Amino acid sequence: MSTQTKSSGIVLDYVKTIGIVNNGFSGRGFANPYDIAVGGDGRIFVLNRCDPLRAAAIRIGICNLDEDYLGEFGRGYGDGDGQFIWAVAMALDSQGRLHITDEHNHRVTTYDTSGSATGEYLSHWGKAGAGDGELNGPAGIAIDSSDNVFVVDQHNSRVQKFTSEGKFIANWGSFGSGEGQFNLPWGAAVDRNDNVYIADWRNDRIQKFTNDGEFLAAFGSSGEGEGQFQRPTSVAIDPEGFIYVADWGNERVQVLGPDGSFQLILRGEATDSKWAEDYFASNPEEKAERDVSNLLPELPAHLNTPYHVSSQTEPYFWGPVSVSLDGKGRLYVAETNRHRFQVYQKR
Amino acid sequence: MISNDTVLMAHLLRRAGFGASRDELEEYLAMGYEGAVETLLNPSDPDNMPDDLIRRYHVEQSELRDLPGSAAYWMYRMISTSCPMEEKIALFWHSLFATGYVKLNQARALLNQVDMFRRSGLGSFEELLVELSKDPAMIVWLDNNENHGSAINENFGRELLELFSMGIGNYTEDDVKECARAFTGWTLGNAEYMSIRAAKDSIWPYGRIAWHFDYRREDHDDGEKTFLGETGRFNGEEIIAIIVKQEATARFVATRLFQFFGADEVTEAGEAVIEEMMATYFSSGYQIRDMLRTLFHSGFFKSEDARFARVKGPVEMVVGAIRMAGNYQSPSLGIEKVSNTMFFMGQGLLRPPTVDGWHEGAEWIDSGALVERVNFVAKELSDVRSPGVRSIIDRLEANSDQGVLKPSDLADGCLDLLGPIQVSDETRSVLVDYASRHGDLDLNGHQPGDQAEQQVGNMLRLVAATREYQLA
Amino acid sequence: MTTTKREKSLIVIQLTGGNDYLNTVVPYSEGRYYDNRSTVSIPQEQVIAIDDRYGFNPSMGPIKALWDEGKVAVINGVGYENPNRSHFRSMDIWHTAEPDTIGKEGWLGRAIRDLDPQGENVLTGINFGRGLPRALGCPGVSVASVGDLETYGLFPDVQDEELRTFTLEAFSRMYGGAAGRDPVMELLGQTGQDALQGADILRTAPAMYSSTVEYAPDALAQNVKSISQVFHAGLGARVLYTQHGPSFDTHAGQLPTHAMLWNEVAGAVGCLMDDMKEHGTQDDATILIFSEFGRRIKDNGSGSDHGSGGVAFLIGGAVNGGMYGEYPSLAEAEQIEGDLRSNNDFRSIYTGILEDWLGLDAAPIVNGQFEKFDIFQS
Repeated sequence: MSTQTKSSGIVLDYVKTIGIVNNGFSGRGFANPYDIAVGGDGRIFVLNRCDPLRAAAIRIGICNLDEDYLGEFGRGYGDGDGQFIWAVAMALDSQGRLHITDEHNHRVTTYDTSGSATGEYLSHWGKAGAGDGELNGPAGIAIDSSDNVFVVDQHNSRVQKFTSEGKFIANWGSFGSGEGQFNLPWGAAVDRNDNVYIADWRNDRIQKFTNDGEFLAAFGSSGEGEGQFQRPTSVAIDPEGFIYVADWGNERVQVLGPDGSFQLILRGEATDSKWAEDYFASNPEEKAERDVSNLLPELPAHLNTPYHVSSQTEPYFWGPVSVSLDGKGRLYVAETNRHRFQVYQKR
Repeated sequence: MISNDTVLMAHLLRRAGFGASRDELEEYLAMGYEGAVETLLNPSDPDNMPDDLIRRYHVEQSELRDLPGSAAYWMYRMISTSCPMEEKIALFWHSLFATGYVKLNQARALLNQVDMFRRSGLGSFEELLVELSKDPAMIVWLDNNENHGSAINENFGRELLELFSMGIGNYTEDDVKECARAFTGWTLGNAEYMSIRAAKDSIWPYGRIAWHFDYRREDHDDGEKTFLGETGRFNGEEIIAIIVKQEATARFVATRLFQFFGADEVTEAGEAVIEEMMATYFSSGYQIRDMLRTLFHSGFFKSEDARFARVKGPVEMVVGAIRMAGNYQSPSLGIEKVSNTMFFMGQGLLRPPTVDGWHEGAEWIDSGALVERVNFVAKELSDVRSPGVRSIIDRLEANSDQGVLKPSDLADGCLDLLGPIQVSDETRSVLVDYASRHGDLDLNGHQPGDQAEQQVGNMLRLVAATREYQLA
Repeated sequence: MTTTKREKSLIVIQLTGGNDYLNTVVPYSEGRYYDNRSTVSIPQEQVIAIDDRYGFNPSMGPIKALWDEGKVAVINGVGYENPNRSHFRSMDIWHTAEPDTIGKEGWLGRAIRDLDPQGENVLTGINFGRGLPRALGCPGVSVASVGDLETYGLFPDVQDEELRTFTLEAFSRMYGGAAGRDPVMELLGQTGQDALQGADILRTAPAMYSSTVEYAPDALAQNVKSISQVFHAGLGARVLYTQHGPSFDTHAGQLPTHAMLWNEVAGAVGCLMDDMKEHGTQDDATILIFSEFGRRIKDNGSGSDHGSGGVAFLIGGAVNGGMYGEYPSLAEAEQIEGDLRSNNDFRSIYTGILEDWLGLDAAPIVNGQFEKFDIFQS
């Protein structure tokens, strides 16, 4: 059924697409989603990065897999308590606290989403700098089984480990392309053994470390081939150790085996969300033309790059910036440029 | 004394680029004038802010859906490029083949068009017109998607002749119709759906879908046509081949290039240069690059008459000041505000008001626009934290007599390093008086942002506010 | 305060983004309204009824108070043929009064030219907000665009007042002495002097104004306050313009957003009218409120999408309040592609304003003859 290519056992079935453009300041739909976190109760938190025209609308939206829009939270744009300027990534800890990085404010902001809480601001921590525990452009964030928080400190070319209250524990890394070095790293993930994976963005690879930062392995190289990456932004690890990578520059998602071997590629196969169907119900003349259009066109040579192809081919991923997993084998791929996410189910 | 070579090179770089910091100017001076002209006219592999970095921090410039972000994306390119002529020629064609967001609601398509201008803007005018006729943004802008074999819409056919090549008076109404017939079937993929979306600027459900050219053979009128005295079953390419052969086309292209790169007003001496450029047009096989080479090597261009003979357009004004100040060299919050500022000055990138483009030259100047122009450059160039301004301070110190500058040294030094700019005696005396307020300036041991540096910043603010700075 | 008989002024408040007509002047007695608006409707009991069929949005209280005083004209079903549902293009059409081709001149730019043909007063037309709307653009017509009245002018970022004054003096000298130069230098000199002069005059406005009316802190109210200051300073401003939005583009989460927006608009208009009453100027200015289009009849489950037929308001002491024109039918057969079919050309509103309020010849400004409503008291 799919645009995926397979070389071994893992199979991902497309489930559905959730989302619609929201160019306003509230209500259902998304504005340049940048990351997704899925709660144990099935609530899906979507970080809306928002563009400068709608900067004040920066917020976290909440929905579920049935496409009910449950609300949103955040305190708007700025550097005040609970506010964001350039929010990047989120992670939930075991207490239902959502930790959100902001690469412009150089800090991590925590909201409570436990129980019936729908996003009460708790605190923020971190300050700009290069010393231990100081941050310069915090990007990816991941939390291990003991609620230690790993923050990708992109401009300091390192990973820092904190307690969930933001107390500094350790850090590692320096600028470069050698083992354990980074070039503008972005996403982070932790596997069931609490090993740490980093999307080493400008080195086009994923690096794997022990929980204390000892280098274990690096996967991938620059390119468009299988197992190669163009600016990987995000990584996620399932219980069996499969590695999901948002291969952002190639506008695709790749899955690697636990040993880093290539498994499969997803190019995206979005369909109309419920919210999209509502839109077309009140805009039938637009729907009629859409139905007879070819949304998978062939393009002239000068537009034959992944970016241009995705800009012209609506079902494909465009700006697949994050990969997230829930506890039920589902993969969520957030697409910044299409204001939606696609859901896949591991067989 | 400022050398004549420096003055001439600065002049060339204002026209073939966006002006130059002293470091840049020295790099070009080392090539010699001829070498500099060739380097500028043959841009290859420009060094500029990479797309991956821009897209990582600016989601709006990854999606390129809205106007301000898309204009800012082009701004970054102009600000950071090592090949300024590539951007300048794109800006020239954008002004001439003026295609606007207002009707398209599709910024991505406009940026693809700008890319085409980069790719083909210095090459053959014939190829450029063919690419233009296949450009989806142009097709929607001038309704060629409504130009059918069964019923023509002559909008594109008319403007191709009137505004893009020969100019009015050089063809008949029948030629317009025949021209339009030849371009029937030249449309864009999913034309009907895309035009509904453009017409209601619908971005639902998932943002915009970019555009590509599509030729619908069944919608093309393949019959015989008579165009400018020639007869055949012409398709668009053959029509363009006839257009580019016309003397009127040569004159049109040469004149527009002259006015953008040479001088706002065409004087008698200018007219002679236009004639030379027309000769080059034919001898080179319609090559824009060769026409510009003729212009840049002409006696007129190198003479005093051509210097400061253009009113800077808002984009030149803004980009020039930012490059001089060395700001926005990495993705920065607030770049979209800069692109809005150009709009407030009367030139919104990607949104020319009509197919006529902007009214350039003296028409850039009205009191609202002047306030915006002066305020922007004055602020940009007076901020002593900016790297480019810091380098001006260092050079002033290095060029001075043991770090001490008399008021006239400060005024002259700033005029030199921001240009060199030639100003009237009256202007210079105001600048010197202004500098005299604090007596001699001692830059010895200056520290970032201290009083001595602020004095330089204040002087630069006033130089940027002169009438002369408004000119290129 | 000046006591000389003042000339009539027009104050324009543009609602950017496409204001939802159906939820502004609500046809609360129509079943079809509630059928089509299953999510995005105003419950009957919340509507502020103005008659037995229609009522205002609940957040329009201050406008209802003015309605009761007979100062509000509601102009129904405004638009133009072959409606365009693009924000940019439709706003452009409203600005240039030119629905068919891409127009070159703004209707108010032309009006300003006719009000002040010699360009004697650089403040005849003023926009409050940055960037000139095309409505005010016209070659050869100078219109000031005031982002912030307090700092308006040259070198606003220079904090040190003494330095700013010193710099402005130098600027004035550099842009003086234009004689004998080439035409471009002369133009620059003259324009620089005009800019200085306009800024000097405008900066006097706040000092010449006092009022007990307190405007809200939102951006629109503050711009309207600036309008009041300049209007009451007696500087000869005839066209004063500002815009609110683009948040009227309510595709999602419409109800709270739209309520907040109208709360701001109605609040600002109420304050301005109170202000004019306090100054005895309520017969000297008329407020026009318009938007580029209305929104789709059927909602989309969360908001409403771009439509056609909209509503405009004229408010002022000299206005004959009431409903003008037919409210378009919601019947399916009467719709145009799922939208309200406009039955009043927007240029007929312009024509009324230009002829009956500003005393100008409307046809050349709006590109044709349009029947007008008898809205202004004679």
